[in-house]
Amino acid sequence: MKKLNETQLQELEQDLNAIRDEVLADLGERDARYIRRIIRLHRTLEIGGRVMMPFGFIPPVFLAATASLGVAKILENMEIGHNVMHGQYDWMNDPNLHSQTYEWDTVCTADSWRRTHNYEHHTYTNVIGKDRDYGYAVLRLSDEDEWKPWHSLQFINYILLSVLFQWGVGLHELESEKLRRREIRWRDKLPFLKDFARKGGRQAFKDYVFFPLLTLPVAPIVLAGNIGANLIRNLWSSTVIFCGHFTQDAETFSEAECEGESKGHWYLRQLTGSSNFTGGRWLHILSGHLSYQVEHHVFPDLPAHRYPEISEKVQAVCLKHGIPYNTGSFARQYGTVLNQIFRYSLPDRVRTRLEGRSAPQAI
Amino acid sequence: MLARVTQSKTIHWLGRQLSNQDNPESWLDPVLAKINPMWVQAYTPARVEQVIQETADTRTFVLRPARRWTGFRAGQHVNICTEIDGVRRNRTFSLSSSPLLWETQGLVTLTIKRLPGGLVTNWLHDRVVPGQVIGLGEAFGEFLIPEPAQPVLFIAGGSGITPVVSQLETMAAQDYPAPVTLLYFVRTHRDVIAGEKLRALASRHSTLTVQVIATNESEEPRFLRGEDLDGIANLKSREVYLCGPKGLMDLAGDLLHQRGVTDDRIHSTFFAPPAPAQLEGTELGGQVTFANSDVQVGSKGDANLLEIAEAAGLTPQYGCRMGICHQCSCRKTSGTVINRLTGQVSGAGEENVQLCISVPRGPVSVDV
Repeated sequence: MKKLNETQLQELEQDLNAIRDEVLADLGERDARYIRRIIRLHRTLEIGGRVMMPFGFIPPVFLAATASLGVAKILENMEIGHNVMHGQYDWMNDPNLHSQTYEWDTVCTADSWRRTHNYEHHTYTNVIGKDRDYGYAVLRLSDEDEWKPWHSLQFINYILLSVLFQWGVGLHELESEKLRRREIRWRDKLPFLKDFARKGGRQAFKDYVFFPLLTLPVAPIVLAGNIGANLIRNLWSSTVIFCGHFTQDAETFSEAECEGESKGHWYLRQLTGSSNFTGGRWLHILSGHLSYQVEHHVFPDLPAHRYPEISEKVQAVCLKHGIPYNTGSFARQYGTVLNQIFRYSLPDRVRTRLEGRSAPQAI
Repeated sequence: MLARVTQSKTIHWLGRQLSNQDNPESWLDPVLAKINPMWVQAYTPARVEQVIQETADTRTFVLRPARRWTGFRAGQHVNICTEIDGVRRNRTFSLSSSPLLWETQGLVTLTIKRLPGGLVTNWLHDRVVPGQVIGLGEAFGEFLIPEPAQPVLFIAGGSGITPVVSQLETMAAQDYPAPVTLLYFVRTHRDVIAGEKLRALASRHSTLTVQVIATNESEEPRFLRGEDLDGIANLKSREVYLCGPKGLMDLAGDLLHQRGVTDDRIHSTFFAPPAPAQLEGTELGGQVTFANSDVQVGSKGDANLLEIAEAAGLTPQYGCRMGICHQCSCRKTSGTVINRLTGQVSGAGEENVQLCISVPRGPVSVDV
């Protein structure tokens, strides 16, 4: 991480606070209109998908229905659910858009997510050993994680995690790695497992039982379409999230570095631990504006559709303080993620040799 | 509180499974609001039919609520819900029309005075025009006409007349068989609300006596006096209804007590936050844990949980901020709070509390 002294950190804190205050003072009608428009779009796509699905015996309709439902789920999870549960719209005082009560259309319960994501991940971003989102305790992505033989297969793990992403996120709080190491007992996790079973059951009931049964003669088609929609959402959301933190230039931190850190230091860590990708307006909306992961990590509770306009100011602050601003095209960033997953699956000896040889061509 | 209760439990359960929302009936609201704001489900939409200027600073809003609204009884109030600059605001107002108007024509009226600096009242006055839709909750409140009929005395001040107008009209419609007296205090005669209606009622019904008293038209302010009450026949056997500014309500309470009217015969309602109960300052405050947000803050004095949460940067849901609407109710998991309105001390265990009127006494933990 780039080193700044205490005075510089304080200045950084003030600069970023100023951006935040400016946006907070300006929140209003425009933001309310935006989120309601996205909700309208989500409802339309979901209803459209559900209505079309029984006619999925016509192949183009099947594709349209699955895509419609898949995109609906993406919008709901990313631009609506994720952002509402960050408290981005709490100021609207609308009970249906409140972080404490919102429940989203995925297996992970809102409560569990608020603990593991809102609190753990956003407080200890990229601190190895504390941020369990870093590699999801499944992937090895940094030197600080010691290589074990099973890491050599982590590309398979990565694919499985992406395909089953919502179940992975849902079970994140189980802390299976700690259970394996016997640091915690199954009994401690019973309340969590109960909630998980209820929410997982509800989600499975909806997509794999209720809607197929409702359309009985064509149940297999509806079931397949719903599985397809969930798959589309899983692959897309895991990809967006991986591009936000596991790119080549996203930094990681040690626990020692972050001991008793100041707000300015926390800001610095958010700036250097996250990565953006560029693209068109719809790419941003469909990623829940997590394409502006840097801005999201610095201001997790500002309405996400403001990140593009905030971005210029954040970049100016980064430039002023000489802090790298990690961004690139979606393809480039995703390429470096895949590269990271592959590199760290190798034993350190092999990797360094490989990198040494290909150093001149390395990105 | 604003949400309508779905009749069928099974359908509600199914709706929750499918929409992931606790109030599935409002899942489509953003779409419905766009197509026709009268179809919104989270609250009962009411279309503004007419706006009538009563006095310089008071207007009556004639509303047509969606037919599913369950109606009200004279003297009750209602939460209204509006969105101002993207922020949803809830406020409580008395219904000033008679339930008869709702039953026969599907209309209700709210008579609202502009409060200096008031966000919602000023917005209603300045921005609301016929055709607009605002949200209504279900009516509530115990400021009700006695049954069976008994002699009644109303003492109202300023805009406190609004629930009384509803009651008088209702009583007139049913030829209320007992004497009714109204003492109505206004600053000047220009501030009389519903003056014509009151005069008409009084002239048609001999059992109704209306006395309008202007407090600020003479050199000396002319407040409620003992003789105003002494002139009323059978005062001790009357049910007394008080509605108005705190000063008037306190004064009336004292004078009535002196004349032997017992508390069980005195009914009052309020428009502004009632005077907080006398809380013992030294034992208030404590460490407050907002469990869901993982925030802990210390508080001193009589700050309520809502203020403490907001000062800590949290944004819990809230409505009226005066203990009426229950929008801010949430689960207290441990610790003791004092109800700011009643002065009552809660138990130490798990229970629902209203953030806006709960003052911590010692360490408290709430699910916010």
